Amino acid sequence: MKYTTFNQHTVNALLEPMFFGHPVNVARYDQQRHSIFEKLIEKQISFFWRPEEVDVSKDRVDFQQLSDSEKHIFISNLKYQTLLDSVQGRSPNIAFLPIISLPELETWVETWSFFETIHSRSYTHILRNLFTDPSEVFDDIVVNEEIKVRASDISKYYDDLIFATQLWQTQGEGIHQAYGETHVINMRELKKKLYLCMCSVNALEAIRFYVSFACTFAFAERKLMEGNSKIIRLIARDENLHLTSTQHILNLWADGKDDPEMAEIAIECREQSTAIFLQAVEQEKQWATYLFQHGSMIGLNKDILCQYVEFIANHRMRAIGLEAPFAITDNPLPWMNTYLNSDTVQVAPQESEISSYLVGQIDSEVSSDEFDDFDL
Amino acid sequence: MTDNSDSYMITVIGHGEFEQQDRTLLQSIERQQIDVHYHCREGFCGACRTRIKKGSVTYLTEPLAYINDDEILPCCCRANSDIEIELD
Ligand SMILES: [Fe+2]
Ligand SMILES: [Fe+2]
Repeated sequence: MKYTTFNQHTVNALLEPMFFGHPVNVARYDQQRHSIFEKLIEKQISFFWRPEEVDVSKDRVDFQQLSDSEKHIFISNLKYQTLLDSVQGRSPNIAFLPIISLPELETWVETWSFFETIHSRSYTHILRNLFTDPSEVFDDIVVNEEIKVRASDISKYYDDLIFATQLWQTQGEGIHQAYGETHVINMRELKKKLYLCMCSVNALEAIRFYVSFACTFAFAERKLMEGNSKIIRLIARDENLHLTSTQHILNLWADGKDDPEMAEIAIECREQSTAIFLQAVEQEKQWATYLFQHGSMIGLNKDILCQYVEFIANHRMRAIGLEAPFAITDNPLPWMNTYLNSDTVQVAPQESEISSYLVGQIDSEVSSDEFDDFDL
Repeated sequence: MTDNSDSYMITVIGHGEFEQQDRTLLQSIERQQIDVHYHCREGFCGACRTRIKKGSVTYLTEPLAYINDDEILPCCCRANSDIEIELD
C-alpha cells in the first residue's frame, strides 16, 4: 500500500490496528483506541530537560584523576551510549511512522524520538567539557570493532523492517528483485519483521543500556563524574518510559487487544523473541569483559556486572510474557535502584518547577475521589 | 502522616505478614526490610511489578506501566483490603 501523508478517506481510528491499517489522517486525540500512548506522551513531555542546564564542569577535574583503566571504562561507555541513541534518535521514526495507523501512537513515536535526540546532544555536552576536541572519541564509534558488532545487531531488525516496508509501499505484495536478491513481500512477513523489530527495540532500551548505567552510577557512588551521572539519570528516566511503551505494544499484541494476526505471530515468534533477548544479554556480558580488560573499578567488576545484566533481563523478559531464563533472584547492585528513582532527579530549580507544573495539569483530570487516600 | 483507618494486613509470601502503615505499599514493604526491586517509584517503569493473590489495592497515581490482571505496582498503590502478594 502506497504511503500518503494525509489519507483523504474517512477512517474510524477506533477500529484501526496500531500498525499496517490505513495511514493516519487527522492528528486528533479526542478519541483513542489505545489511550496509554497519550498518557505516555504527557509523561514524557513533563520530563523535558536540556543537557546545557546540567553543570558538568567539575567532571573535568575528576576525569584527570581517574586511572587509565577507569578512563577506558568511562569513555567506552559514552561511545556505546552515543551509538544507541544515534540509532534510537532516527529509527523509530523511519521504521514505524510509515506503517502506524493510530494518531496517538504516531505522536508517541515522534515524542519518544525527540527525547532520543536530547540524549544524543547531551553526549556532545559531556565530551566537549572533557576534551578540547572530542572528535577522536566520536570518530572511533564507527571503527571500533567492539562497538561495530553491537551496532550491526541493533540496526539489523530495524533495517530489515524498513527495507521490506519500502518494497511493499512502492511495489506491493509479491516477489521482488532488489540489489541482486529476491524478497518475498506479504503482510504476514511484514508483520513478523515488525514483531521482531519491536522485541529488539525493547531489549535495546530495557537491557543494553544497563551495563553503562551501572558503571556511571558506580563512579557517582564514589562522588566522581557527578555531572555526567546527573545527565545519565535523566536519560535513564526517559528510557524507563520508552521501555514501558514497547512493553505495552508487545503485550497489546500478545493479549489479542489489537491486531489478531499479531497475537498469532507473538506465539509463532516466541523462540526468536527469546533469542533476541539472550543475544543482547550475551553481547552485554562481552561488553563488560571489554570494559574491564585493563582492570576493574572500585565497587564494580565484570562478574557482578554480568549478574546484574541477568537480573535485569529476567525482569524484562517476564514483563512481556517470556520465561525468566536466569537463576539469579536477588539484585546484585541494590544501590542502582536509588539512581533510577525518578523522585530525586532534578535539573535546575526552574526545570523541576516546569515538570511539576505539567504533572499538576495531568493530575487535575483525575476525579476527586481518587485523592481519598492522600493525606497532605 | 497517614491515616490508619485503612491499616490492612499485608502478607508477603515467604516473608510473613505485617500491617500497612505507609503512604504506598512499596514503603510498607520496605519498612519490613524486605528486598524489593524498584526504579521510578511513580508507576511508569514497572520494575516493582508484583503478583497479587488475595485482596485489592487503590492507586494513588494511575499506573502507566503494563500490568496483568493479577499484578500490581506497589510503588503507586496501597491496599484497600487485607492482601496477599508474591515478590519475584
Ligand atoms: Fe535514549
Ligand atoms: Fe529510548
